[in-house]
Amino acid sequence: MLHEDSAAERMIVDEPYYEPLGNECDVFAAAVANQLPILLKGPTGCGKTRFVHHMAWRLRRPLVTVACHDDLTAADLVGRYLVKGGETQWIDGPLTHAVRLGAICYLDEIVEARKDTTVIIHPLCDDRRVLPIDKRGELLPVPREFALVISYNPGYQSVLKDLKQSTRQRFVALEFDYPAAEVEQKIVRTESGIDDQTAHRLVRFGVHTRNLKGSGLDEGASTRLLVNAAKLIATGIVPTVACDTAVAHALTDDPELLHAIHELANAVF
Amino acid sequence: MNRADLDRVAGVLLARLPRAADVISDIAAMEREGREFVCHWTEVIALSSEELAAHFIASAPQAFRTLDERAVEDWIIEAMDAFDRHGLGAGIEVFDALPVFAARRAGTQASCTLESVAGFLRYFVRGLGGRALTIARDPLAHTDSERIFLPPTLAVADAHDINARLYKATAVYLWAQNRYGTWQQRALETALRVLDAITTWPVFRKLEAVRLGACLARDLPGLARDMASVGFAHAEEAAAWAHFSAEAASLTEPGATAHDSLALVERFATRTLPEEPRYTGGMRPDKVREVLMARVPREKAALQRALGALERELAPRDEDVEADASVAAEPANRFTLEESVDGANRDVGLQYDGEQVPLDADLQALLASIMQDLGELGDDYLEPGTGDAPYSGDAEAGGTPGTAPAEVTGGHVHVYPEWDYTRERFREAFCALTEHTVPDGSDEFMIATETKYRGLAKSIRRVFEAILSEAQRQRRQPHGDELDLDALVDAHVDFVQGHEMSDRLYTHLHKAGRDVAVMFMVDMSGSTKGWVNDAEREAMLLLAEAVETLGDAFAIYGFSGRTNKRCEVYRVKTFDEPYSLAVRRRISGMSPKAYTRMGVAIRHLGALLAAVPARTRLLVTLSDGKPEDYGSYRGRYGIEDTRHALLEVRRAGIHPFCITIDREAPAYLPHMVGTANYTVVDEVQKLPYKVADIYRRLTT
Repeated sequence: MLHEDSAAERMIVDEPYYEPLGNECDVFAAAVANQLPILLKGPTGCGKTRFVHHMAWRLRRPLVTVACHDDLTAADLVGRYLVKGGETQWIDGPLTHAVRLGAICYLDEIVEARKDTTVIIHPLCDDRRVLPIDKRGELLPVPREFALVISYNPGYQSVLKDLKQSTRQRFVALEFDYPAAEVEQKIVRTESGIDDQTAHRLVRFGVHTRNLKGSGLDEGASTRLLVNAAKLIATGIVPTVACDTAVAHALTDDPELLHAIHELANAVF
Repeated sequence: MNRADLDRVAGVLLARLPRAADVISDIAAMEREGREFVCHWTEVIALSSEELAAHFIASAPQAFRTLDERAVEDWIIEAMDAFDRHGLGAGIEVFDALPVFAARRAGTQASCTLESVAGFLRYFVRGLGGRALTIARDPLAHTDSERIFLPPTLAVADAHDINARLYKATAVYLWAQNRYGTWQQRALETALRVLDAITTWPVFRKLEAVRLGACLARDLPGLARDMASVGFAHAEEAAAWAHFSAEAASLTEPGATAHDSLALVERFATRTLPEEPRYTGGMRPDKVREVLMARVPREKAALQRALGALERELAPRDEDVEADASVAAEPANRFTLEESVDGANRDVGLQYDGEQVPLDADLQALLASIMQDLGELGDDYLEPGTGDAPYSGDAEAGGTPGTAPAEVTGGHVHVYPEWDYTRERFREAFCALTEHTVPDGSDEFMIATETKYRGLAKSIRRVFEAILSEAQRQRRQPHGDELDLDALVDAHVDFVQGHEMSDRLYTHLHKAGRDVAVMFMVDMSGSTKGWVNDAEREAMLLLAEAVETLGDAFAIYGFSGRTNKRCEVYRVKTFDEPYSLAVRRRISGMSPKAYTRMGVAIRHLGALLAAVPARTRLLVTLSDGKPEDYGSYRGRYGIEDTRHALLEVRRAGIHPFCITIDREAPAYLPHMVGTANYTVVDEVQKLPYKVADIYRRLTT
């Protein structure tokens, strides 16, 4: 098998920086201890992925991350036979791999994946705790250490991108949002190394753009975008230019909105 | 062009003027281009009103002496707009008052129009936060606490850039009045009681300018710098203002409120105060009060309703039922409010029994708006109401006493501009359009159609179902354009393990899933009476069935009308409505009405379609001839307006397509809709057979 030593590779050695927003760390640890799967909800760039990394480090578990896309099938997750030197050989998919390792498996943006993936997620998530591998006629028992985490952005208001009740009701759900101003300021400062005042202004700017959500923008600036802008500023880019390039143009192409966001950046700096 | 030509063009008109001969010789003395310009516009204006044209020609030579050609054109357009909106008298007034226009014009070279900045300002002010304020137009810059009124043009400074920045500064300043509590209810009531409109309001206004200036400088330093740089034309004025600000320094402290400004009014009331910054605008406290009085009880009720709904949601979580009963016996309020302010941003949090409650965006906005009005919430505000209806922003939007009458009654009249090719401009707010529902038609027609086209309907459905099944990327196909690697590997595995190999090893690439929204716009003009209308209805019945099979979102509207004041569209099926027997009855009920004013219908239905989320949006018009209406909307005018309306919807990401049975159509349709965007059905009877086929070609 391919994964003899990969558990070590998938361990997270250095502590990923994460600023808790509430009791989510305790809830996550408790859910994992009780073998309950976890659903992370929240807008893009608010720290869901970072949180999983942090928890994997904290719980000392290997982490297998799968970024889901619209062509991802159940076979891609579970695994498939390949032919090698005239012999067939079974190759585990990332989900099977994670089960064998007793790792945390993180399926990012699960709604993007094909509908048939839910079929294999369901038996993993309830008290059966098995992974059916149809092609091998195998029911892989799931070890106590394995944990399934999925994430999903409820902000996409498309009927095609919604999570079915039968799926979501198997999960412990943790809701994420952009952190409160002081916390976000601390995050921006810590991640980029800019001074406190600049971080403060950047966060204010971020909130201004979030005011535009629903009246022009689909989403306001995420914490991730603010951190990107802060990193540019830390390396000597003028703040308003950093806001334009890292935030405004990342959010929209509409000239009037761009102008407005540009002026909002000018307003706070 | 010689004098005889001029006589011919203007002769009739000039007969109305006392000094006809003088005017003609004046025009004859002009340069050739000028004469042609005058003749062209005289003809254009005469189409609207000969009387108006006469007044134009009388002032034209004078206009050419004082204005350049571009300005003359603007002058003409202003007069014609006045004519369109307020009648002949208003149009003549503009032409006769040439010196007034010329004087204004001299100042407008540097001027900035609200139109050019309104879009940006709307987003900008929204981004600053607080209650959502809209931008509206009024000669006096002021706010009524829901709208920011700005003058239509700004020519205070002699540079365009400064005027544009002054617009921004004015909008921000008026936003600040709302955000930093100038119009908080208690302060406003006190101010209205103690201040006098003539003597002391201006003092209060200036003191508030000091206070708000400081707030802005604290919270939005970059913006405050920009505002300071355009606030005054001269350094002395700025210095005088700075001196005054220093005297009222207590207002620049963080935490100063409108009450502090009020308290200082007396001290400064007897002194001559410097001019405030140019962006300050005016105050209309009476207007604010009116809007506030309507909003406060409305929002209070909405909040209590929302809290009631929230409590019903939260209460079952209480584990201890007995404890719950005891709490219910207590009148104590279980909701508490927490506010955190960071700069210009204000965040309101709600707690229930000391636990943070997640707020949806509507409720958050509601709480923020209430806090903006009251500064703090009275206890009665947090008492959950018992009303059943959950809070909905829509429910609050209209119908409550106090909202502007235009919003209440104007819900059903839509106003659209119309393109006038002779002027090469829009006639602003020219068409008034109303929506009506088509009455149910006879079941006989429906049944007759179903019987008549039974075979056709079946084959249409089959064809459309085929479209549906192939509208994806298919894996494991016996034939295809690419190898399916997964299938190949599986097949090989089967082979090696000694099983039977599959021959389905290809992927077949098809267009991705359908994501189509289509608006059918059916001509219900009088000319369709008879077999055209029958064919249209039959075609729509068959087509609706087919489109429903495909699962595409679709709507059906008829259109007609008489003159620009009575444009009408007839609802047969909206996008949200499922396709049903009721819809089929309404299709049967479509009957010929009046004329074909197409442009306004396209603008209206295009806007409805643009609001539907779909990758492909189609606007299919079904008509029997040229756009035509009572009055001037015929011939080239109608075609050009329709063409322009189609260009507008195309810009909004909509594909227009015209199906027509007019045999003369090839003469004008390519110009009106573009060569590839129409089809002519040469025999009416074939229409039902053709439309489904046309639709299939369009969407696959």
